[in-house]
Amino acid sequence: MKTRIKELRKERKLSQEELALAVGTTRQTITSIEVGKYTASLVLAYKIAHFFGLTIEEVFDFSELNEF
Amino acid sequence: MEKFRTKVKRRIAISSGMAFIAMVLGGINIYSIIITDHSSATHSDGFVAGFQFGLIVSIFGLAVFDIIKLSLAINDETKLRILYNKEHDERLIAIRNKAGAPMIVITSIMMIIAAIIAGYFNIIVFYTLIVAVAAQLLVSAMVKLYCMKTM
Repeated sequence: MKTRIKELRKERKLSQEELALAVGTTRQTITSIEVGKYTASLVLAYKIAHFFGLTIEEVFDFSELNEF
Repeated sequence: MEKFRTKVKRRIAISSGMAFIAMVLGGINIYSIIITDHSSATHSDGFVAGFQFGLIVSIFGLAVFDIIKLSLAINDETKLRILYNKEHDERLIAIRNKAGAPMIVITSIMMIIAAIIAGYFNIIVFYTLIVAVAAQLLVSAMVKLYCMKTM
């Protein structure tokens, strides 16, 4: 799944470690989400979106889910 | 986080207890090696005793490592938060589950205990159980490594 996490992180000059610490996960998980290897759970997606002050849809790209 | 800090303190106490028990058992093991009449001991007897001693030393080493790691974390808020995140990280939990945790660990411990007991009666059963434990731990480690790369 595509996300805007890397872009949002760069805008705020945040490292993966700092974001991970803030949302209660590990740096490796943030890396996996950013490169699309791992799809975050609803709770983690909410925490990340809430951290950036955005909605889940604004951070995560769900357009691929509509492709059958 | 205070709840987790209490949990970590409890784990330090448990690890200290384990290190102490391992030290006592190691002492008994060394003493029994010294007083054993080696002229009548078979190769199998030596192997089982050596395995037990190796296991005790490993438990002691792991307990000491755990005490150091947890003691460092408990005195540093950031390290404690990182430890909490690592233990509660959803991706790592999913990887551990795919690798068979915690059942692989539980069955491995039970099989090692069974192997040590069986070792006193039948050395073939001892070898079989130890090889089975090694094989299941190896498969679990390989699955974990694969999942770490792909997830």
